Amino acid sequence: METINKPLKRRSRYNSSEARVAYICLIPAFLGLFFLTYAPLVGVLGISLTNWTGLKSPEFIGFDNYVQLFTKDPYIKDSIIATIYFAFLSVIGSMVYSFFIAMLLNRKIPARGFLRAVFYVPFVLPAAAIYVGWSWLYEANFGFFNFLLSKVGLNKVLFIADSSYVVPSLSLISVWLSGNLIVIFLAGLQNVPSVYHEAAEVDGAGGWKRFIHITLPSMSPIIFYNLLMSLIANLQVVTPALALTNGGPGNSSRFLTYLMYDQAFVNYKLGYACATTFVIFAILAVFTALLFKTSNRWIYNEGGDDK
Amino acid sequence: MSAVAYGRLRSRKRKERTMNIVTFVVVIICAALVLFPIWWIFRTSLMTNAEIYRYPPSLVPENWLFSNYEKTLKVFKFWKYLWNTMLIIVPSCLAGTFTATLCGYAFARLRFRGKNLIWALCVGSMLLPAMVTLIPLYIGWTRGLGIHDSYMPLILPYFCGGGAFNIFLIRQFMMSIPRELDQAATIDGAGYFRILFSIIMPAIRPAMIVVALFIFIGLWNDLLQQMIYINSSDKYTIALGLTNFRGQLKSDWSLTMAATCLSFAPGVIFYLIGQKYFVEGITLTGMKA
Repeated sequence: METINKPLKRRSRYNSSEARVAYICLIPAFLGLFFLTYAPLVGVLGISLTNWTGLKSPEFIGFDNYVQLFTKDPYIKDSIIATIYFAFLSVIGSMVYSFFIAMLLNRKIPARGFLRAVFYVPFVLPAAAIYVGWSWLYEANFGFFNFLLSKVGLNKVLFIADSSYVVPSLSLISVWLSGNLIVIFLAGLQNVPSVYHEAAEVDGAGGWKRFIHITLPSMSPIIFYNLLMSLIANLQVVTPALALTNGGPGNSSRFLTYLMYDQAFVNYKLGYACATTFVIFAILAVFTALLFKTSNRWIYNEGGDDK
Repeated sequence: MSAVAYGRLRSRKRKERTMNIVTFVVVIICAALVLFPIWWIFRTSLMTNAEIYRYPPSLVPENWLFSNYEKTLKVFKFWKYLWNTMLIIVPSCLAGTFTATLCGYAFARLRFRGKNLIWALCVGSMLLPAMVTLIPLYIGWTRGLGIHDSYMPLILPYFCGGGAFNIFLIRQFMMSIPRELDQAATIDGAGYFRILFSIIMPAIRPAMIVVALFIFIGLWNDLLQQMIYINSSDKYTIALGLTNFRGQLKSDWSLTMAATCLSFAPGVIFYLIGQKYFVEGITLTGMKA
């Protein structure tokens, strides 16, 4: 790589008309990166230090919003717990589910393309409609799940109307939606060289041993990618609360992003909501950093050590 | 081949075949479980309310009441909502795909000063969660530009490269196209834009379709931003209309489920059309990251 890049670094190699074309092509990206990404990022920090309500002009109040958020806010603690709880269940659930289905689909079975498409279908349905539809399955008296429970002789559960079941119930929907992970896992599995499996089989390794010692290590970069994407998506969960629960019952599904929405667009406390935004950002950053930090311990690198 | 080895091979083959049959059965069961909620919603949409509340519930409606859909369409302005949703989605998909292709071209093929820095900023913005910029952007659109109750805040961002993720996807795909193609065109006197439009774009058509489909799904699912930017009910999208409809008709489950099924339909149709490209695209993003 080094040797190929070197000649490009000399200034004389930049062709001026080529560079001009490049900058023209990149105008949209420049606009987007500045106005839609980095300027708003600075904006969040700035606004979070003010008491802006949208009605009167903002005043600088230092870190008061953060102090209030962590000492007086009645929701923030429940909100952080609900968000992390939901993300934990959803990420673990969808990773296990999609890896399992991908393993099955990786075998030589008939109608594989069609079956793969079936598992992907939930992902293309509009999220709002999915939650409305599932709310019927979770219905307290006549819903399908309560019918199942009554069949096996268990008591009725209120699911999304019960504060201790709402988060697991919503996580189940999120697992159901994780068809995109299956497709990525499947592509990864198809890239595991079959030579490894054959060699291990000659050495007498059974199915489980081969899974632990061959499949998992060679899939580790893909597992990492899926873990990262699914964690980032699930920590930002908001649609179920908007479409279905309104944060309830109690505060049990008042996810952080919903809390931020509520503060900013229902109560018009823009400065305060930006402080909450920054908390979301911090939590995501911590989890992402942790994931990257531990990654070199469990990700197996095909070409040995890169660095 | 000795008889023993041949026998072992045959028994292995037989074992493999039974394993494949078991796998197939398990996959079919799982697929049925995945489709079941959708079926349950659909069969509810074809029942009378009395039938819905019967115990034990039946899997298939007694007399498929497609008239429920007529009733629903009278209250739930599906066609209006679909039209509104398309007013957002169509320009966004076209502009997003086009600008992502331009940006991807610059990163994949052209040499210019500051490339690494700009690329790093682009990739960095992929890790930045969308929720973080929500409030400043809202303030920018409504206070800064005075745009209220409009689709513009939902559409215009797609004129800016369609998001770093899509630029990334296009770039990855372009890098897999052999450079000899553009070099040959350069010798024939084609300029950079000519190469992009007549050589590269046809070659990366699958990736462009994928980007368009991703933008479609993204807008389809984005209830939060639609809630924030759209106020008047005649501008409602499908997602907003359905959420609102459910609030009005809390207990009329068959009509609510009919509205839900109607909202499912466009996504399923688009998916069936673009299925092949979809799978290809997701694979691409996951594999070459």
